[in-house]
Amino acid sequence: MKGQTWRLVLTIGLIVLAFIGFWNTLRYWTLDAADKERMEMQKPGSVQELQRKAMRLGLDLQGGVHIVLRVMLEKIEPSARADAVDRAIQIIRNRVDFIGVAEPVIQRQGDDRIIVDLPGYTDAARAEELIGQTAQLEFKLLETQDNANLILQRIDSVMAEINKAEKAASSDETTTATTETAAPDTSAADTAAKDIFADILGEDTLDITEGDRPFTLYLDPFLFNSSNNTQWPGYVVAARDRRSVEKMLERPEVKRMIPEDVQFAWSTRPEIVAAQEVYKLYILKSRVQFLGKHLERIKLGKGQYQENTVDFRLSGEASAAFARLTGANIDKPLAIVIDNKVESAPFINSRIRNEGQITMGSSATIKDAQNLEVVLKAGALPAPMEIIAKNVVGATLGSDTIRKGFYSAIVGLFLVLAYIAFYYRLSGLIADIGLIFNLFFLLSIMAALEATLTMPGIAGIILTIGMSVDANILIFERIREELRSGKTVRASIDAGYHRAWAAILDGHVTTLITAAALYIIGAGSIRGFAVSLFWGVLISLFTAYVITKLIFDMRKHKQTLSI
Amino acid sequence: MFSLIGVPNIDFIGKRKISFLVSALLVVVGIIGFIMVSLGKANIGIDFAGGVMVQGHFLQPVGIDQLRDAIRTEFPDAQVNEVKDFSFPNAFIIKTKRPGTDAEGSQRAKRIEEILGTQFSGNQFTLDSESVIGPAVGEKLRRDAGWAILVSLIGILIYIALRFDFRSGVAATVATTHDVLAVVGIFYLLGLEFDLLTLSALLTLAGYSLTDKVVVYDRIRENLRKFRAKTEFIFCVNRSINETLSRTINTSTTVVVVVVMVFLGGETLRNFAIALILGVIIGTYSSIFVASPIVVEWEARSPRRFKK
Repeated sequence: MKGQTWRLVLTIGLIVLAFIGFWNTLRYWTLDAADKERMEMQKPGSVQELQRKAMRLGLDLQGGVHIVLRVMLEKIEPSARADAVDRAIQIIRNRVDFIGVAEPVIQRQGDDRIIVDLPGYTDAARAEELIGQTAQLEFKLLETQDNANLILQRIDSVMAEINKAEKAASSDETTTATTETAAPDTSAADTAAKDIFADILGEDTLDITEGDRPFTLYLDPFLFNSSNNTQWPGYVVAARDRRSVEKMLERPEVKRMIPEDVQFAWSTRPEIVAAQEVYKLYILKSRVQFLGKHLERIKLGKGQYQENTVDFRLSGEASAAFARLTGANIDKPLAIVIDNKVESAPFINSRIRNEGQITMGSSATIKDAQNLEVVLKAGALPAPMEIIAKNVVGATLGSDTIRKGFYSAIVGLFLVLAYIAFYYRLSGLIADIGLIFNLFFLLSIMAALEATLTMPGIAGIILTIGMSVDANILIFERIREELRSGKTVRASIDAGYHRAWAAILDGHVTTLITAAALYIIGAGSIRGFAVSLFWGVLISLFTAYVITKLIFDMRKHKQTLSI
Repeated sequence: MFSLIGVPNIDFIGKRKISFLVSALLVVVGIIGFIMVSLGKANIGIDFAGGVMVQGHFLQPVGIDQLRDAIRTEFPDAQVNEVKDFSFPNAFIIKTKRPGTDAEGSQRAKRIEEILGTQFSGNQFTLDSESVIGPAVGEKLRRDAGWAILVSLIGILIYIALRFDFRSGVAATVATTHDVLAVVGIFYLLGLEFDLLTLSALLTLAGYSLTDKVVVYDRIRENLRKFRAKTEFIFCVNRSINETLSRTINTSTTVVVVVVMVFLGGETLRNFAIALILGVIIGTYSSIFVASPIVVEWEARSPRRFKK
């Protein structure tokens, strides 16, 4: 009896645990679009948070892009090969951040391979272009304040004309579609832009009339202060306005206003300024002053006041050129540009010949320094990458697959449940209860392990049903034999469970061995299959020996058994 | 008590001459299939061979021959198939295999998309899924697959040898290998594709088939306590098979039912399901007619089991 209580407590405890483990997944899966919108309204980011906690769906089920890259180590110096792949991963991570995928997976595989999974993202061409290219590190000077102002004024006037023309056109044709491309959503953008100005400068310094300044409306001059108070123009754009600004810059009329030797470039990462997510926009002289490949021995260091620094050396032949460049531009910023994005723009304090140091600002963390270190290293030794495998699944195919997989699993489950209940009567129903618990535990373990559910994973779950049924059949056939030999119900149940144990254990262990082998060698979706099979088999042992046994034991005093 | 069959008394071991002949045939075909797969001459999926798979659908109906011609002018060995029961009508899968280099794979994918866009302009093509696998990746997968099979077979052999004895371990492993080879052979004969999913099906059926054999061995071990005389060995084995027959058939039926359901899971899992169903059927056959008869033959040649 004592053993029974213990098992009852264990079972109930596990059921509670399983509910907790599965709760977020259940909530997320049962949300419809309207619910999600409501949740997002109440607390921004809450849907994404819930999605993160819920069981993930594989690319085959929800659509997405899977890319395998190879870092061509043979094309770089042997001494640089050791951490070339890790650096490449960093670069890819930076690039993927821009796509805005909720849960990207970027992993190293083997010596020279990198796996990139972008669930839910289906623009393969863009992903490929973004991820596959080799990192280019360049140093560029910023455009002077006067020139920058001039360019901005020109863009403003061009945009003002365009807006006027479009407004006229739209009122003529009484259409409303024209605002989407160029004209900013005036009310929102206006206040947003003003907010940043007010936050950063402490007052509403600029008198903006939107008609005059459709472009600079979005920009906020961000004043870099160097040691000797030189002010340099850079601009801050709220993250949500970034796309609008990009669209304007892409317009051919606007492009004509930008001199060929000048380029606009965004910062690599967003920053938080005055509680707002913003990107910096730089106006650079497009001429490449210096290439990253001349940098050597990049490492983290500490400056005079214990601030973080990144130290570097220059290769012999390049040091003269760098000395000329820095000597001529003291007190000016030098932009460190990677993949056409500005990592940072430190000021040149003095002429640098062969050893330099980039001092991070007082607010910079060690992580910022590490980022810079990685960027400098990556660009210093660009290891080319090639895409060696790619898998893109469209969202429609994904949902079609999941619908079919789901229904076939449900139909399969019901057929088996019905068959068992028909064949073994009441005992069959007890086995059915065990089977349902088996599935429930399996799903919650997978959710808790943050495993990804794939189509082969669903197949693994279906096979688990088979294993679980087999265990019950073995036990029931034994019980029947014992009953036939004239034993009491109680003795038959005990003997049945006892004698079936060896065969069930052996069968399950051999399947576990197979699942483990599949997991170890299998890449991607095969792993999903192995994971669900592995846990399913373990749980199947538990449900057969604890849960169904518990139910049988609780009715042991009865004289008959329906089997 | 409802049962399909009671405890019959069939002389399975006595039929072993016939069953060994059938099995030998299956194994020979299997070995041929296996060699062909290893040489890359069988129908190998793009997972292993490298290649391009483009799946998508057209807005308006397209004749499959027309599509085939359009693709085959540039890729003569391309397979073009219609996809049924997908959310959209007019869906197709186009596959070409064995690109020479990794870069060529990507180029092919682009070219196929171009052809679909230009040759059928006016009939919009939507890409539903695309796979590009370079030959290097395919080769690595082939190697890994070989390891997986080897590792799991060795692991299982060790486990069974520890739980039973060395002979049973060998016999069970031989019978299971027989099942896997038989499925490979049938797949080869039917021209079905070997891909990563087929491989996982093969490994799964190996696990299933072993379970099946172990159950019989387990019963033999138990019954050997009752039948101790040397002359009783064959009788004991036969009886054990008969006693477990109801379970064997019952379990196989449920597994087949379950797997048939996988069939409804669409195009992706079709080969997986076929391999499993074949595996269960052959596994059931070999549990009865191959695994135990091997032990009987072994025992007849060098009696050991009854010494203690």
